[in-house]
Amino acid sequence: MARESLLIATLVELADNLVDHYDVIDVLTVLTDRCVEAVDVDAAGVMLASPGGELQFVASSSESMRVLELFQIQANEGPCVDCFRDGKAIVNYSLSEADGRWPLFTPRALDQGFRSVHSLPMRLRGRTIGALNLFRTTQGPLEVDDVVVVQGLADVATIAILQHRSSLDAHTLNEQLSNALNSRIVIEQAKGIISQATSSDMDKAFARLRAYARNHNEGLTEVATRIVEGSLHPGSLNHPTRSASRNTES
Amino acid sequence: MVANRLVDIFELMVRQEGDLAHGVSLCSVAAEITELSGAGITLSSTGDQKTPWCTSNRVAQELMDLEIMLGEGPGDEASRSGVANQELNLMEPESSRWMMYSPEAAATGARAVFGFPVRIGAARFGALSLFRDEPGPLSETQTSDAYLMASVIGRAILTMQAGAPGDALAGELDGQSTLDFSVHQAAGMLSVQASLSVRDALVALRAHAFATKTAPSVLAQRVVDREVRFDPESGAWRDDMDKNDC
Repeated sequence: MARESLLIATLVELADNLVDHYDVIDVLTVLTDRCVEAVDVDAAGVMLASPGGELQFVASSSESMRVLELFQIQANEGPCVDCFRDGKAIVNYSLSEADGRWPLFTPRALDQGFRSVHSLPMRLRGRTIGALNLFRTTQGPLEVDDVVVVQGLADVATIAILQHRSSLDAHTLNEQLSNALNSRIVIEQAKGIISQATSSDMDKAFARLRAYARNHNEGLTEVATRIVEGSLHPGSLNHPTRSASRNTES
Repeated sequence: MVANRLVDIFELMVRQEGDLAHGVSLCSVAAEITELSGAGITLSSTGDQKTPWCTSNRVAQELMDLEIMLGEGPGDEASRSGVANQELNLMEPESSRWMMYSPEAAATGARAVFGFPVRIGAARFGALSLFRDEPGPLSETQTSDAYLMASVIGRAILTMQAGAPGDALAGELDGQSTLDFSVHQAAGMLSVQASLSVRDALVALRAHAFATKTAPSVLAQRVVDREVRFDPESGAWRDDMDKNDC
């Protein structure tokens, strides 16, 4: 199918999500999922900078991506770290242990099957707030069109974090960033509760959380908060409808 | 955006040499790093109870007393709502949300007040209140420093409530522990195992890490991997490396 159709479908879905009280993590997770479908990449992830300038993982299309994103943060090296630090896109970088650019990250990524990486800065008024990372299992460059598309998607991700505020002062931007990062922590806390209560692993716990949020038309963070605060029992997540659970299991 | 701003904060704290358990050094550092007139920290416990923890100077103390007495103000609102707030000119407040607090606060000499929630995920630990003796908004750097400070205070409260020695905070800040997801996942798991709030589970996890001289992230990963768990029957931690049926 033409990539254009997928792209249009993606933009419509994102636009559909960016209304009223949308959930940032939800939108970013959808965005990383769609990146993989609309562009010739195999995994996508978003990292954001905390007010202290530390990068934090916020969303990804797959578990292997999540692990690599977290590893970059721990090792403080990798395409995303460079992209964020320099505020410049890294496109079509072929991973090779020989070049020695990321001695810790590269072997890990190769081990996970990735062969080339891209990292697009998420920028707002001269400030880099994070990066969208795209990994491929094959070498060879992305098409020029694809590069334009992914930078466009990175811009959409930036807009998503800003939560459609019309007047965006420093206070608001920092608040939105801080809230987005905290949302991710709430979700991890809820995943722990669900995982323990339902004897499932973290991925299944996340799938349950996501399916429930979808089915009830609620934000991920909102559902996660209710679970952590005890007003929603993790057992209630046990019965997602079949179609929803199929959509969210990966 | 300065990536090593945490280092600046830590250096200031070392210079203050204050007692962590009384939080005074944290308040002074908060005021200093944000270049504001003063700071106060309130702790919130289960229920909606708030306990003043520390203030950096006399006016900050007066503002804190007002908040506690009147039950309104920036710190109160931040800890209740979980969202930051500000009043940029107490002499001409933009809204009438703090009918009693605003004029009384202005009488202390404060002109602008700011409240930042101290939270770790959905666990609420309290609030950081800041004030300035002149009206007006915070700059971009001041705002990001205030958020950073609120996160440092969260880690400090966790360390303190876990009964760790004051100098343990250094390792805490160094280890980027709030960025380690396994800690949050493990806290969620432990909260179910031990019937605790996630907030108390975070503290209990940290306490056990210190007691067993394990790095919090290492202990957390073992909890997530189901090698270590809290056994409610015996009320003790169990290390069951052999058991792997989940």
